Amino acid sequence: MKSLSKLTLALLGATALVTPALAQDDKIVVGFATAESGFMQAYDKPAQDAAMIRIAEINAAGGLLGKQIEVVNADTKTDRAEGAKAGLSVIDAGADMVVVSCDYDFGAPAALAAEGAGLPSFFLCAESIKAGIQGVGPNSFSASVLAAVQGATMAEWSYNKKEARTFYRLLDTWTEYNKGICDGFDWMLPRLEGASLVGEDTFKNEDASIAAQITRIKSLEKEPDAIMLCTMMPGAVSAIKQIRAAGINSMILNGSGVDGSYWLSAVPDLSNFYVPVQGSIYGDDPNADVTAFNAKYKEATGGDPSSQYVYPGYVMIDVWAKAVERAGTTETAAVVAELEKMTAEPTLFGPRSFSAELHHQNSADYRIVNIEAGKPAVIDSWTISEPIPVADLMK
Amino acid sequence: MAIPSVARRTISTPIILALILVALALLAVASGSRPFNQTIIDVFLRVILVVGLYIFIGNSGVISFGHAGFTCLGGYAAAWLTMPPMMKETLLPGLPAWLMALQLPFWAGAIFAALWAAIWAALFGKILMRLSGIAASIATFAMLAMINTIYSNWESVTAATSSVVGIPIIRTIWPYMIAAILAVFIAWAHAISRAGLALRAARDEPTAAAASGIDAPRERLIAFVISGAVMGMGGALFAHSIGVVTPDTFYLTLTFTTLSMLVVGGMGSLSGAVLGVVILSSLIQGLRWLEAGITVGTTTFAIPNGLQEITLGVVMILILVRRPSGIMANSELSWPRARPEKPGE
Repeated sequence: MKSLSKLTLALLGATALVTPALAQDDKIVVGFATAESGFMQAYDKPAQDAAMIRIAEINAAGGLLGKQIEVVNADTKTDRAEGAKAGLSVIDAGADMVVVSCDYDFGAPAALAAEGAGLPSFFLCAESIKAGIQGVGPNSFSASVLAAVQGATMAEWSYNKKEARTFYRLLDTWTEYNKGICDGFDWMLPRLEGASLVGEDTFKNEDASIAAQITRIKSLEKEPDAIMLCTMMPGAVSAIKQIRAAGINSMILNGSGVDGSYWLSAVPDLSNFYVPVQGSIYGDDPNADVTAFNAKYKEATGGDPSSQYVYPGYVMIDVWAKAVERAGTTETAAVVAELEKMTAEPTLFGPRSFSAELHHQNSADYRIVNIEAGKPAVIDSWTISEPIPVADLMK
Repeated sequence: MAIPSVARRTISTPIILALILVALALLAVASGSRPFNQTIIDVFLRVILVVGLYIFIGNSGVISFGHAGFTCLGGYAAAWLTMPPMMKETLLPGLPAWLMALQLPFWAGAIFAALWAAIWAALFGKILMRLSGIAASIATFAMLAMINTIYSNWESVTAATSSVVGIPIIRTIWPYMIAAILAVFIAWAHAISRAGLALRAARDEPTAAAASGIDAPRERLIAFVISGAVMGMGGALFAHSIGVVTPDTFYLTLTFTTLSMLVVGGMGSLSGAVLGVVILSSLIQGLRWLEAGITVGTTTFAIPNGLQEITLGVVMILILVRRPSGIMANSELSWPRARPEKPGE
């Protein structure tokens, strides 16, 4: 038995010799502690591919501070404990900045590891206010836009452009993201004069039937002008299908989570359906550079972007690299200070701002995608009239 | 005096196991690698949990599917006790005022977490321990489902399914090593105690044990409470190892990982519990390194992603085919000259 334990120790000893490379001064290292396996991989991989495109562009243009950007990876396996290890791995490998998983829950352990080591961290596309100062610490950022902004954008846009006055709020209580969309909607609604909430309901993403909720919508005196649907995949498809099958034709307002055309065949001829996106994957973005990026993405990965969640990865490297350039160093305090100075910093996917109290976007220039007869197309752009105050976001 | 001699005859087992754990800790420190250090911390956490399972399952013979629930209780108790009050106010507004204002050091938090888990183990155990065999196993599973459902939905006190963050992160290896060694000694002390011996008697010969005046439900309850406390301590330290707790961390995956480590190591053996963890964890880690790729000279050798899980499964099957009652079966590690024997027998 003892020989067995000796063997174990020998095995551990041998593997421990594989020590990671140390940071060097002639390069800048970006560490990706993201999911390369497990279900988060479907979210992390596309955004990471976009980040790699920006890194390749910077390197081709001579690098950052005259140094080439190198990338180190560690797989979180869509597991929190592995996430912490992945974070520590890339830190040991000399990362100057740590990129963590798209989702707050799965990215937090690695981001906390970075925070503990005094390094800046970026969530690839988390949309909860916790992904930043509030849930990690003063050196943590998110590359995407708060979910609340999506709900607020849809409410204000439909009020102004579609004359929506009566709203129905349908919340899927499964995730923070869903709640965030409805929170933003709730914040905006009282600011719209004459708009009223005629009813609200909740369901769960896994619910096979939302017949009870639909019955309540049907029993309203008049069909609401708009239904604010705060949900995400995979449950969203079933909910949308049931709403339309019941003959409810109100416009449906959504968060960005339902962007993408991969699910549209499940609800044939879907119409009067609106989604806010940071950029269009359908080749019709008003900004030609976005379409050019889509082509570049296809060239690099062999496929078109599947949803707008590709874009934050690109934005992330873009704003971080600018901050490093301005600070003249990768030193954390200096880079964070430069990031916090950004106000409406132009990026390929709209302006981005960070401040000492919020490392996330509480306002954004959204494209409005309309799905009509099953065909998605950008029909408008909208930026909410005032950013959502941090105090309201923390509620 | 019979008891000191039993202790003297069997003390070598926990000492050898403790030495293995110390060796692992020294290895981690010597490597100087942060991810490796974290890996060994994970090993220690699993040692605590699997030894906690062993205290109940090994001695009573009743498989429990519910012990991850005590880990959950411990993890959240640590969060309630050690988070900065400011974070608690925003994340967990439903906590009572005295708990909201309290911020204990991590070790004190872990002690209270263990007590908290023990209290619930006593309450649940009082009812469940009247059952035996598969009925008891399923009842423990129902208990896990209850705990998980409450913690996944009690928004103001557990933040429901959202991550609870702000738990101080402890990255030094020593507290984990000390706790793992403590768990080993608790398990050993229980096994050689009157209660442990009586419980094993009731496991092997229920009728004879009952005829000899052993109250099996009572002895089972004692083991259940002690193992609940150890699991609670493990949960608390788990919370400090990554700084985040969520209810789904302490559910089915954890239940089956820890159970399979115990079964592979040998359900009826304390050494088996520890070695099961150490051997399987080393295997997992070794395969992960291979997945990531190892550079030999100019070529990088890597196995395909996912092979780790498959290989692990195959190795576990092979071990169980060769040794159906686990690597250690019912024997314990002891000094070479002493007769291998089970503590307390």
